[in-house]
Amino acid sequence: MTFSTKRVNAIFIKDWKDLQRNSYILFTAAIPLFFAAWLGRIGADSAILASYPVNLALVIAGAFIQAAMVAEEKEKNTLRGLLLSPANTLEILVGKSALSAVMTIVIITGSILLSGYHVPSLPVFAVSILLGLIIYLAIGTILGLLSRTVMESSIIGMPVLVVFGMASMVKTTIENEVLVKVIDYLPSEQLNHIWVRLGEGEGLSAVSGNMAVLLLWAAASFFATMLIYRKNSMDYS
Amino acid sequence: MENVIEVKHLVKSFENKTALKRVDFNVKKGETIGFLGPSGSGKTTIIKILTAQLHPTSGEVKVFNEPIHKLKTPAYMKKIGILTDNSGLYERLSIYDNLALYGDLYEVKKSRINEVLEAVNLLDEKKQIVQKLSKGMKQRVTLARAILHKPDLLFLDEPTSALDPVNTKYIHEGLKKLNEEGTTIFLTTHDMQEAEVLCDRVAFLHDGEIRLLDTPQSLRAREKNISISLVLKGDRTVVVKKDEEGAKAIYDSIQTGQLLTIHSNEPTLGDIFVRLTGRNL
Ligand SMILES: Nc1ncnc2c1ncn2[C@@H]1O[C@H](COP(=O)(O)OP(=O)(O)O)[C@@H](O)[C@H]1O
Ligand SMILES: [Mg+2]
Repeated sequence: MTFSTKRVNAIFIKDWKDLQRNSYILFTAAIPLFFAAWLGRIGADSAILASYPVNLALVIAGAFIQAAMVAEEKEKNTLRGLLLSPANTLEILVGKSALSAVMTIVIITGSILLSGYHVPSLPVFAVSILLGLIIYLAIGTILGLLSRTVMESSIIGMPVLVVFGMASMVKTTIENEVLVKVIDYLPSEQLNHIWVRLGEGEGLSAVSGNMAVLLLWAAASFFATMLIYRKNSMDYS
Repeated sequence: MENVIEVKHLVKSFENKTALKRVDFNVKKGETIGFLGPSGSGKTTIIKILTAQLHPTSGEVKVFNEPIHKLKTPAYMKKIGILTDNSGLYERLSIYDNLALYGDLYEVKKSRINEVLEAVNLLDEKKQIVQKLSKGMKQRVTLARAILHKPDLLFLDEPTSALDPVNTKYIHEGLKKLNEEGTTIFLTTHDMQEAEVLCDRVAFLHDGEIRLLDTPQSLRAREKNISISLVLKGDRTVVVKKDEEGAKAIYDSIQTGQLLTIHSNEPTLGDIFVRLTGRNL
C-alpha cells in the first residue's frame, strides 16, 4: 500500500477550511476549554482533578468531534467521493483524522494552561497523550462510520462519551466490583493512573503496564476502524 | 476496437427486489453509450456495479479487461470519473476549494481547475460557497470534479437533469469534445434529446433488462410507417401516409398553393420506448 502525504494533506486542508465556517464544531471544541477555565478558577489542584480537563479534551475533541466530522461526510455523501478517488484507506483515515488530532492537541494544551495543571515528565506524558489520541480518534471514527447523520453521531456518541469520559469521575460512587474492574481498564483510567504516578515523581518504568494496556487499546481500535471502514465502503447507497 | 466494458449475464438482487434481471452489453473504447430508462429501471445500479460500489449478484463484469472485483483500487479510480445523482459536495467550501481537494487527490496541476471550470461555465463563480448555489450549478461543479483528471472512462448518471437548456447545450458540447479527445462515456438519462445528441449507441432499459441496444439512427429506422404532416393555409393540418394517396395529397396541396410547411413524423426515441415497453420515460 502506498501512502501519499500530499493526499493526506489535501484532506486536512479541506477540513481546516471547512472548520472555519462550522459553528457546531467550533462550539463543541470550546466546551473542554470552559471546563478547564472553571477548574482553574476554583483552584483545583490535585493531579487527578486537574487531569479531568485533559481527559475531557480527548473525549470531546478526539472522539466526539471526529465522529461528527466523519458522520457529516456520510450525511452529505462526500465520503463516497473520497472512496471513489485514488486515495486509499489509510490515506483517507489518516487525512480525515488529522484536523481532529491537531485540534485535540491544541485544546489539551489550552486546557492545561487554563486549569493550571502542572505537567509532570513531559516526554512520558506526551507519549500517553499520543496513545490516548489514537484510541479516541479511532473510537470517534467508528462512531461516525456507524451513524448516518451528524445528529445520529451525537446521539450514539453520548453514552460513549459518558463511559469513556466520565466513568473515572464517578468510579468512587460505584459499588459493583466487576464494574469497577472493567472501568479500571478503560483508557481514561489508564491515563489517570499514569498521570497520577508521574505526578508522584515516578518514571516510565512505574507506568509501563498502563502504557502496554493503552498500546493494546490503540492497536485494537485502529484495526476495528479499518475493518468497519472497509465494510462501510461497499453496498451502501 | 477493443472493449472497455464487458458485461455478461449480469444479475443484481437486493433483499426484496431484483434490480437487474439479466444484462449483457459491451462498450468500445472511445464510444459514448447511453442507458435510457424510467426511474427504477436499474440505471444507477449498473453504474454502481461498474464503479465497484456494489457487488454483482452473479454474472461477469470486466472493465479495462479486468474483472470488477479486482478493481477497487486507486489505479482504477484514477482512470475513471463518476457523477452520480448523489455525489456530494462540501457545502461550506467554495467551488474552487471543492475542486482543489480533488485536484490534489488526483494529482493534477492547479491550472486544470480553471480549465474544467471554464468547461462547465462556472469560472466567474468559482469563489462562491457551494451552499448558496442552485441545483443546476451544483450539478455542474460535480461534473467538473468528474472530468478534472481527464478520465479514460467517464460515468455520468443523469448529468443534466437539473440544468437549463442553455447550460445543457454547453455541457453537451464539452462532453463531445472530451469524447473526441478519447474519453469513453457511459451515461444514463431519461432525456431522449440528450441520448440522441451525445450517444453513439443507446440501450433501452426497462425493469432491469435491456430491451434494445443500437445506434439512434437504426432505432428510428425500425419504424416503417412514418406519416407526413402538411400544414395548409387557414391553420389546417393534414396527416398523410407514405403511399400513393399521400403523394397525391401532397401534390395537390402544392399545386393549389395551399401548402405552407411539410414534415415527416419520424418517431423520437421516446416514442419508440413507449411502443416497446408501454411505459413513458
Ligand atoms: N440499496 C438498495 N436496496 C434495495 N433496493 C434497491 C437498492 N438500490 C436500488 N434498489 C432498487 O433497484 C431498482 C433499480 O434502482 P436504480 O438502479 O436506482 O434505478 P434508476 O437509476 O434507473 O432509477 C429500484 O427498484 C430500486 O428501488
Ligand atoms: Mg438513478
